[in-house]
Amino acid sequence: MEKTISVTVNGRVQRKTVPIRMLLVDFLRDELGLTGTHVGCTYEGRCGACTVVLDGNATKSCMVLAVQADGHRVVTVEGLEEFANAPGELHPIQNGFWERHGLQCGYCTPGMMMTIFDILATNVREGSPELTDEAIRQSLVGNICRCTGYSHIVEAVQSAAAQLRGMDPEERAAWFDTAKLEGTRS
Amino acid sequence: MTTINAESEALAVSWVGRPIKRKEDLRLIRGRGQYLADIKLPGMVHAFFVRSKHAHARLKSVDVSRALSVPGVVAAYSGADLLKLGMRELLIPELVNELPGTLRLPPSWPLAVDKVVFHGEPIAVILAETKYVLEDAAELVVIDYEPLPVITSVEQAMADDSPRVYESWPDNVIYREKMGGDATDAFAKADIIITERFEVPRTGASPMECRGVLTQWDDHSGLTHWTTTQRPHLLRQAISQVLDWPEQMVRVIAPKDQGGSFGTKAPHSREDFILALVARDIMRPVRWVESREESFRAGVGQERAQIHEIQIAARSDGKILALRDRCITDIGHGQQPVFMGVMYPRAGCFMITSFYDIPQAEIEIVCVVTNKPCLTPSRAFGSFPVRLAMDGAINRLARELDLDPLEVVRKNLVTVFPYVTATGNFLDSGDFVGGFDKLVETIDVASVRELQAKLREQGRFIGLGFGGETERSGVSSKAYVPRQRKPGYGVATVKVLNSGKIHVLVGDPPSGQSHETVISQVLADEFGVTPDDVRLDYGDTLSTPYGMGNVGNRMASYTVSAAVLAARELKKKIGLVAAHDLGIDASPDEFTFENGEIVWVKDREIRTQLRAVAVHLIECPIQLPQGTEPGLEHTAYFEPQNVPNMTGASFHCAVVEVMPETGVIKILRYVVVDDCGTPINPLVVEGQVQGGVVMGIGNTVFEEYVYNERGELQNTTLEGYMMPCAADVPHVETYDHSVPTPNNPLGTKGKGEGAPAPVSGALVNAVEDALRPFGVSITTLPLKPERVRAAIAAVVSPEAEAEPADWVEPIVREFAGEGEGYDVLAEMYRFYDGIQISLQPTWHPYVGQIRGWLRDFGQMLDRAAASPAVVDVLAQMFNGEREFAFQSDLDPGLAAQWDRLRNLPRPDGGHAYLDYILPALDSHEMLLVACSNVPFEGETK
Repeated sequence: MEKTISVTVNGRVQRKTVPIRMLLVDFLRDELGLTGTHVGCTYEGRCGACTVVLDGNATKSCMVLAVQADGHRVVTVEGLEEFANAPGELHPIQNGFWERHGLQCGYCTPGMMMTIFDILATNVREGSPELTDEAIRQSLVGNICRCTGYSHIVEAVQSAAAQLRGMDPEERAAWFDTAKLEGTRS
Repeated sequence: MTTINAESEALAVSWVGRPIKRKEDLRLIRGRGQYLADIKLPGMVHAFFVRSKHAHARLKSVDVSRALSVPGVVAAYSGADLLKLGMRELLIPELVNELPGTLRLPPSWPLAVDKVVFHGEPIAVILAETKYVLEDAAELVVIDYEPLPVITSVEQAMADDSPRVYESWPDNVIYREKMGGDATDAFAKADIIITERFEVPRTGASPMECRGVLTQWDDHSGLTHWTTTQRPHLLRQAISQVLDWPEQMVRVIAPKDQGGSFGTKAPHSREDFILALVARDIMRPVRWVESREESFRAGVGQERAQIHEIQIAARSDGKILALRDRCITDIGHGQQPVFMGVMYPRAGCFMITSFYDIPQAEIEIVCVVTNKPCLTPSRAFGSFPVRLAMDGAINRLARELDLDPLEVVRKNLVTVFPYVTATGNFLDSGDFVGGFDKLVETIDVASVRELQAKLREQGRFIGLGFGGETERSGVSSKAYVPRQRKPGYGVATVKVLNSGKIHVLVGDPPSGQSHETVISQVLADEFGVTPDDVRLDYGDTLSTPYGMGNVGNRMASYTVSAAVLAARELKKKIGLVAAHDLGIDASPDEFTFENGEIVWVKDREIRTQLRAVAVHLIECPIQLPQGTEPGLEHTAYFEPQNVPNMTGASFHCAVVEVMPETGVIKILRYVVVDDCGTPINPLVVEGQVQGGVVMGIGNTVFEEYVYNERGELQNTTLEGYMMPCAADVPHVETYDHSVPTPNNPLGTKGKGEGAPAPVSGALVNAVEDALRPFGVSITTLPLKPERVRAAIAAVVSPEAEAEPADWVEPIVREFAGEGEGYDVLAEMYRFYDGIQISLQPTWHPYVGQIRGWLRDFGQMLDRAAASPAVVDVLAQMFNGEREFAFQSDLDPGLAAQWDRLRNLPRPDGGHAYLDYILPALDSHEMLLVACSNVPFEGETK
């Protein structure tokens, strides 16, 4: 059985007819070719490599059917740099991971970054208070990394948070404003 | 284009030794990596394996015909079908090690033919247009099994009347070896002999990306085979040998990006051979992407699993004279080509004495087959359990002699290099005493001891433990050829392009170890360019030189050295042509390479562009110096002269607190001092060490592959296996005490392999030290709370059979206030503690989920307890009130957020203001459901 759905992915409206049993992660990877979103635990909901931001919330895309995303907004790792003002400019989260060696094999990284997108969006909304390493570790419990041992990931988040704190509030919020993403496409 | 480390370019200093940002990251953080599952080919079909539901059974019949009737299914094959296509056994002589002990060869069909020997063994393979129909079709394959007795433990396998895994064998022993010499004399002279039995279960290194294959045949190219592998060149050879296809008609490609390997992608997988056969049969590209459950059931990343009956003989001052060890391993079915499961205990035992000067060793290795998947390599390759045995035994020795364990360790360190151990392991260089002293100084042992004494008075128990290892940084041909008929050399092809840019080709593909960055730093120095000017390609047998694999710390020591040798050979030619072009009488070694130029050291004004020389040699090869061939590329091979390997070392120290009431362990500090020779990129080295240690912590504290008596893996999920997350592990402090090796051009040693190994000893020794007042001995892993409690109970109340039945006094928490809300909170905390205490049966189907809820519950309770206003709401809710008032004055910090949440519309007409409390209640409810064993709603018993 199939259904035609319309999902806004990284600011673009994507209209496709898909089997109703298709998972959102397969929709992103196989239908849209957005292979930055990965599968690590194979639909168990544990590893977090498939994390995307669905309507502003970090969501494991293997735990959602594509048809459930009908009419909703999804941001994937490929969307991160769409928030930038100039081509080639990276999102502070991407910069943080690069600066602090927050990845080795890179397989868990897209999911990690999308979880952190949610964490930092909340942090920015709350006025960018300092985050403790412990709090960062606690908010990453849904994502597993087998390479880094996590310390460099925690440092990557701290680096991204510090970059954001160095900006004025409007500029800071713009890095998480999904409406802006759609605006640039219209 | 974004350049790498543009800010550093201005500095005309060495790139080696600098913590520059990685070159591979830019594509990965943008979601543009190319992992196996990201590659598609036109006309590609998907493959699915139907796997055995029995751990040991005869196959009476396998019928795939009904699966073919499912729309979208293209083909389906049983083992009998593949025999007709030319399937042969995997363990051909070329794929079996030549070992000094006695080895038996099991039958080894890629796809099961007449019987299965483990749960999850592939029996049929189905191909379909889309992956979603594959599982439908798999249900329709009819397999008639005749179950046979299942063997799942060493004890069963070695019992006299045990059934056999392989009926024609006289027993279940696959391998026996005696290693080292005779230690009888030393034992006779000893003042003290320590005897202990350590048992480490199956754990290992499962990477985040499971395996996968994409393969196609065409009559011109032959087989083009993308696969997750650390050894594409050896796999190419193996496919050619096993399937009897001409080697030149097989091309193996490792994807540009691989999501971790840690050894698990070093063996040749049976799936590679099956899929190559069927792709050639249907003449369409076939892709298989392994699921996590398949990966776990196939035994990918299952290693460790050794029993050590160890004895050490020592003088009363702590000097060790000799060791004896009997190492027994349940290797599973043993059909894995090359490694066969027997290589890990062998390699571990070979390095058992690590940096200790122990003159005599007498070791017996026994490997038995069982109905489990075969052990596969996991980072640290056999050493993880061995380190527990060795470092644990030394800890016992110190305890018996009433000496400080650190003093005993220091007394036994090797001080003279090179050194050959009693098992024949070669240590080429190092400064073990210096590294060890740096560790002791960093951890500040005196203050830890002081704090330990103080806390003990308060009924709290902290402890300190040491572990460490030496690791071989690659192994040379001298050692590999006799055992594996494989070369040990490092090899690299370096090309200077017309544009003056550098292109490097190596055979061995990385999977996260930063090869692109590291090679680029090294060659940027050699050619006086920037890392941006250097490009690395790897892992394609068509274009790269034959390499034995990205394994065993080979990159930084062997491959890098080969690249340096190749570069230096080219520099000679460049110098020759530069002198000729500049019209000076200069020898090639009188030039330095700086900022893309070639500068004459005798007169720095005389210089030319690297690009100009490259163009002359490659594009315009006229008027070259007499006898100079055109072209500017060279392939170099590196073998260290006169030594079988180079030696890295690391020294670990853990400080832990143990809660005797619950058995919970908290790691307060974890410090590592490392020798990796010349560090090429210190940030990368730090990442390797931190990641390796955390893997070791996972293996020591949380992880275990649990099999039931039917040989079925019980925890086939990451959650059930308890792979640690960020909140489970501490920050690992890393320090460098590097001694460059004299045996290669840059003094480099590898650092990817060994880091997990010393963790087992360091943590176990720390726990024993913490519980010294009880006199507890820990001899098995993982260090789950119930195991720690059982170990305490065994010494405190040895007459009790298991857990003491006594009621454990609940932990009393102090809250910021009191009243009804706090009573509710205290009740919830008590419930939390109760679960924490009771939640460690060896394994339970919901243990992962319960652990997750418990973690959420604990976090939410802590958040609630921190806010009097939230506690107040909690009281209102428990009293059944419908409307909740938030007392802003109690918690002004939360008030704004509370109001914001209050105003969010909710579908249930309520408010979102319970975000702080509802999750706690949800977790509470989940826990109640799970723990009371009540079926979930809709679930039938």
